[in-house]
Amino acid sequence: MTLFAALFSHYRRHPLQLLALAIMIVVATMLWTGVSHLTHQARASFGQSEQAVAERRQVVRSDGQSVAVADFVTLRRAGVCVMPWLEVQRPDAQGRVVGVDGLAASCFAGAGEAAQAWNQPLNGKPFLDIRDAAALTTGPDDRSAELTLLVAEQVTEAALPEGYRLSRFSLGPDTGELGESFLLNLDALGVLVLLITALLLRSVYQLGLAQRRDSFALLHRFGVPPVSVNRLLVLEMALLAGLCVIPGVALGRLLAGLLGSGFGQALDNLFDAPLYAGQEASWLSSVLTMMAVVMVVCLIDLIRPVSRAPVMLLAGQRQSLALAALLLGLALAMVASSLVPVFIAVALVFVGAGLLAPILMSGLAQRLARAAPDPLKRWHFAEFGVLARRLALPLVALQFALAMVLAVQALVTVFEATFDEWLSQRLAADFFVEVPAGADSGPGVDWLAAQPVLAASGDWQRVVRGEAELMMADAASHSETGPGQRVDLLAVAPVGRLLTQWRLQAAADQPWQAFARGEGIMINEQLARRQELAVGETLNLTVADETLSLPVLAIYPDYGRPAGEVLLNAGLLPAAFQPGFESLSINPGDLDMATVVSGLQRVWQVETVTVRNNERIRELADTVFDQTFLLTRAMTVLTLILAAAALLIMGWVFFSTRVWYYRLLAVWGLRDREVAGQMVRLAVSLTIGIAVLALPLGIWLTWVLVHRINPLAFGWSLPMAVYPEFWVELIGLSLLIGLSIAALMRRQLQQPATIPASAGSLSGGDR
Amino acid sequence: MGQALLRVHGLAKGFRSGSEQIPVLADLALTLNQGESMALMGRSGSGKSTLLNLLCGLEHPDAGVIDIDGQHFDGSQAHDRRAQSRCWADLRRQRIGVVFQDANLMPAMSLLDNVRLRARLAGQDDLGCLAWLERLGIGALADRFPDQVSGGQRQRAALAMVFAMQPALILADEPTGSLDRHTADDVADELFRLQAEHGCALILATHDAELAARCGQRLDLAHLSCSAAPSPSSMSSTSPAPADRSQ
Repeated sequence: MTLFAALFSHYRRHPLQLLALAIMIVVATMLWTGVSHLTHQARASFGQSEQAVAERRQVVRSDGQSVAVADFVTLRRAGVCVMPWLEVQRPDAQGRVVGVDGLAASCFAGAGEAAQAWNQPLNGKPFLDIRDAAALTTGPDDRSAELTLLVAEQVTEAALPEGYRLSRFSLGPDTGELGESFLLNLDALGVLVLLITALLLRSVYQLGLAQRRDSFALLHRFGVPPVSVNRLLVLEMALLAGLCVIPGVALGRLLAGLLGSGFGQALDNLFDAPLYAGQEASWLSSVLTMMAVVMVVCLIDLIRPVSRAPVMLLAGQRQSLALAALLLGLALAMVASSLVPVFIAVALVFVGAGLLAPILMSGLAQRLARAAPDPLKRWHFAEFGVLARRLALPLVALQFALAMVLAVQALVTVFEATFDEWLSQRLAADFFVEVPAGADSGPGVDWLAAQPVLAASGDWQRVVRGEAELMMADAASHSETGPGQRVDLLAVAPVGRLLTQWRLQAAADQPWQAFARGEGIMINEQLARRQELAVGETLNLTVADETLSLPVLAIYPDYGRPAGEVLLNAGLLPAAFQPGFESLSINPGDLDMATVVSGLQRVWQVETVTVRNNERIRELADTVFDQTFLLTRAMTVLTLILAAAALLIMGWVFFSTRVWYYRLLAVWGLRDREVAGQMVRLAVSLTIGIAVLALPLGIWLTWVLVHRINPLAFGWSLPMAVYPEFWVELIGLSLLIGLSIAALMRRQLQQPATIPASAGSLSGGDR
Repeated sequence: MGQALLRVHGLAKGFRSGSEQIPVLADLALTLNQGESMALMGRSGSGKSTLLNLLCGLEHPDAGVIDIDGQHFDGSQAHDRRAQSRCWADLRRQRIGVVFQDANLMPAMSLLDNVRLRARLAGQDDLGCLAWLERLGIGALADRFPDQVSGGQRQRAALAMVFAMQPALILADEPTGSLDRHTADDVADELFRLQAEHGCALILATHDAELAARCGQRLDLAHLSCSAAPSPSSMSSTSPAPADRSQ
């Protein structure tokens, strides 16, 4: 215990160092736990929902109305094995839960694995008793609650009473790899954050260790074997990690809870995949993982290889290895055809860039020092080289953090701009007027067409949404294969400016004119990619009871929406078609919207119509978007703050070891202001230098995210854009960090300094 | 006897330790002419380093007057500290050379670059810097870095730096304190030889009676200072202390 006290006395002398180490462990744990907790929850949710509804069917009403409790009663009385499935959004965005009726599910017994989905504790994670789920709704009109009637596999269409039919049950469109890829991206972000925080942690710990080497040597002289010291160091680190990791995990879970709302919306909006209230990730695995990371990062030097020769050889070839890793990573990123090699490529490039950055900065400084005619400038460059080498770890961590922020920021901004374009496409009109339930849109359309002011100064179109069936085509022969695929149908007429301003990815000659004449259809990007469809191909589209054979006139971008969609001229819709939703998009122009509304109310003979102001919808969508990316923004900004704080601490500590030498400048006659100026120049050139080196890395990472990871993971690509204003912001931030170090250093210069005992690295006398 | 380069009278300095004021020097007077040398004697904590710091303006006296190289500094005029600091900085740059026990060189620069830097700061031509290193017997080591040479060689380089600036006064704080006897003697020989050759004044703080005996004057601070008790470590070190430490 006395030995342990002697070892730990270092932190009694340097409590701030201990505090910095503890904060690093807590924050690293918090960031990593936050992300992994969210991804774990989302994965579990995906898994449960997929298992629960795999290969299921449901009973729906033939008239298109939603099913209600009365329908359940009717079906059960008719002897049909159905089970109610009530999805409810829990308050405060805690995820969706599913109410099931275990009694009703009894007739599913023996139906195979599907029955197991609800054969589990109804504890709200996510399944609960249907009565409890119903209690969470705000009433019969609660739009967030959705009742479905699942049907056993053995039930046939013929067994159903009149007015009902069978339909495939799914939680939304088949998201394929999309959800998993999104989570993979989050995992990658989490790993990058962990890497940066590990670098920072190691740099702080290594600093303390270097300062304690004299104490170790003294203990060795007193007869304490090095192995005992090492054991105590492991014990000390284990205690510290244990004390810090647990609050870190708690904070991480809190962070996940705070960001969960935005994350849930991200899943919901991007993939139509609801985030269910799931089983939470276990505390033990998070704590043990982070304990292991902290111990390895800090104490890996204690592991002595059997032979040091390979290690020494590798250390000697560091520059060549770094260059090789960089070039290999760059090449791999170009040619990789799946996600895993791309992530490996990213890792290789980061390793290479991280190893090369300090070497590059220091080498350049030495070259400049040799070329500088003024001895003071020579001193500045020589000192810069020393700092670049000695502060390599926190500098590289800052470089990674800056690159990550730059890439994520660029990606989010590109996505935001693209999303905005998509919104503009879908919300081109100022107002939507819903066609009232049971009303025929025809009189409304006729009334709008008869308004000369609207024709002269405004635009309008009828928008019909529903489903159609697309006959699958064999890629090679284009012959029909198997059953049709359900696709979303978007039917629009008349074809006017609201539609023709859409941006098209690929198009035949004069596509809108042909579309207006009903001579073809348009399809969204997802459908084109998944079915490998191209402009000019003829598709068989079954709408209600009619099959239309029409060529693809154009492909329009759909920005990651996974559902396939067909755009059809509404004039081609068969009379038997039952719209899922119908509305009129109107730009009233010089016509007063109130006049439009009253006119439509009159022809539809209703007292009220639902009018949606698209500007408000756009504002809401923007808010949702901001929440969606709150997680990535929060993660990157927190990491950057951490990296900046670490460099600040490390910079200050290292500058403090050199304070004697900086004060020599004052002894040699430089005025206080001139010495402070030298400190500012040194610190700022160091932080700006690393920011400049982070720029190409960040731009490359943006390119990888946009042109490699995104297409491979999501199947669609965003336009690549760079934002020089971000660069300026990041360089400004680096300037601020440098100025802060210089300010701390100036304060340090006012304090007494003791003469260095030697010219070794411990006393800041290295070169 | 040469012209008076340095006159000090009524000099007093103390340090605060918590709420307690610890006096180190009180009513100290000395005079040193050009070309003369003086040894400051006294045990650790007697104020030798403090006096050297006062004599080059790295610390401000609480009271007393220092006339040096035609400049007048009055310790009682605390309001004029900033202007005084600028004057002291100019003096240190061009007229006062300071040698510490160790760590006189910038570690990231070669010995020659260190000498060049010091010479250029003093407004001297740096062409003769290599010659200074050669005169001190380390010309062959000019391109070496401080951590690549011995302690004695580092101190010779420090002397080369001081003489390359052609000072009027050299303040040496235990310049041989970290060296073995033989090397210490060699370095001291070089110091006195060049001081005599160059005609500058020298104040040497030392514990070494033999070394002190080679100086023209001796000032034993053990008999003059107010407190023989060891000062707080941060104050008793041979540090280039901040100018406003006493504030």
